[in-house]
Amino acid sequence: MIVTKQKTIDEISNYIDQYKSFFLVGCSECATLCGTGNEEAILNLKEWLEKEGKKVTGWFIAKTGCQILGTKRELSVYKQFLDEADCILVLSCGAGTQTLNEFFEDKPVIPVNDTLFIGNMRRLKEFEEKCRACGECFLAITGLCVVTLCPKSMLNGPCGGYRDGKCEVNSHRKCAWIIAFDILNKRDLIDRFYESLLGPKDWSKANSPRHYSVKEKKVEFTT
Amino acid sequence: MSLLREKLLKGDFVITVEMTPPKGPDIIPMLNKLEELKYLTDAVNFTDNPSAKMRLCSMAACKLSLDIDFEPVLQMTCRDRNRIAIQSDLLGAYSLGIKNVLVMTGDHPTLGDHKEAKPVYDIDSSVLIKLVKNLNEGKDIYGNSLNGKTDFFIGAVVNPNAEPILPQLKRFEQKLKMGADFFQTQMIFEIERLERFLDFADKFNGTKVIVGIIIIKTKKMLHYIAEKIPGIVVPHWLINKVRELKDEDVEKFGIDFASNIAMNIIENKLAQGIHIMAISKVEDVKNLLNYIKIRV
Repeated sequence: MIVTKQKTIDEISNYIDQYKSFFLVGCSECATLCGTGNEEAILNLKEWLEKEGKKVTGWFIAKTGCQILGTKRELSVYKQFLDEADCILVLSCGAGTQTLNEFFEDKPVIPVNDTLFIGNMRRLKEFEEKCRACGECFLAITGLCVVTLCPKSMLNGPCGGYRDGKCEVNSHRKCAWIIAFDILNKRDLIDRFYESLLGPKDWSKANSPRHYSVKEKKVEFTT
Repeated sequence: MSLLREKLLKGDFVITVEMTPPKGPDIIPMLNKLEELKYLTDAVNFTDNPSAKMRLCSMAACKLSLDIDFEPVLQMTCRDRNRIAIQSDLLGAYSLGIKNVLVMTGDHPTLGDHKEAKPVYDIDSSVLIKLVKNLNEGKDIYGNSLNGKTDFFIGAVVNPNAEPILPQLKRFEQKLKMGADFFQTQMIFEIERLERFLDFADKFNGTKVIVGIIIIKTKKMLHYIAEKIPGIVVPHWLINKVRELKDEDVEKFGIDFASNIAMNIIENKLAQGIHIMAISKVEDVKNLLNYIKIRV
């Protein structure tokens, strides 16, 4: 999922200072799992806005905020409340916020959240980054995503900085390559792995912005 | 040909020294040290923004060293340059007369003084060795022809202190396969750890190893190394021993300790050289070398 975190109240205040009325949009997908785009998050924000003397004209939770046409359709029934608002506040990821951005040329669309990473939930509302969307998955070769989990994206084994198996960047975290090495070892793949050199990685597959069409089966950096 | 390569191929025992370029444009103190060190050691390594702390670049320091006839080793990390910049800088370095490189992945920016910098790590050190090998064969990283060949003497690093050691040894083997001509170890405090690595390295005939050693100057310095330098394991007995010493006795202990390691390496022919790391004063190098010469 896309992991998000609500901005600080100070930062939000700074962005909305000059506006008086707001329409709030959440998302029932990742942001709901993160607690940053669900009903509770929306109502908390609404309560705070009203305490600040602002008006909330309405709110809704998009089924999938990053689905542009679906969200547009869902939003159409809220036209009156949207028209009454000076500003749209989006409790979603950056992609969801930009869905809304497309619909309102003359009304500010302001993100309530910061988008952090693609991750998994280990425990309730605890998330771990797992994927950098680099465009070329090496999991079959390396056992776990060293592109993401190694801060140096080492492709051929650990650097020399690990200490007692812990990462040089964060001593509370096990070195990704020590874990990968264990996985490859258990699968009897170490010798096979070291028969060749992995890389240089094709980072052009991660160039932004990317466009992908299932029909054309083609990822394009520019369209 | 690189003088360092010549000496190592001849079987000479080499002594190299590590120099961290200045944090700022004033090169005079560095040049003064180099003027003395060139008579004491075979080559000088210039670090590449070590511990991710921004300093004058290694290439410029290497050129300044060449200008006074002191053999330089260009240290290059993968942290701050993508493959275009790395190749371009290496060609530039070669054009200036720099013949030795020591390549490594590099400490992460979060450990340094520019913590918000974007880490590059476009390639890792194994790929970088292959890249330099390609330049030596007149090709870029993709095999495109260059208008000539470089003749770099390619150094790689290995950390015999690493726990677990096996992943480190596999990387050593891979670096060797990729074309590393010599290896420099991380600083060594226990000969047993060095020997554990050398037992493995011995399987590959003729591997040239230069062993990193350090002269402990103060309790604070040892504490910093133990806590802050990635991959360093300072044994507890050494920390305790230094802690029990009077402050004024640490320096003498440091010279004795480094000398004993150096002598052990020389007498038992464990490696082809020593690399004196993190020096603060030329005097320390002199003291260490005097001690070794007396014993030799």
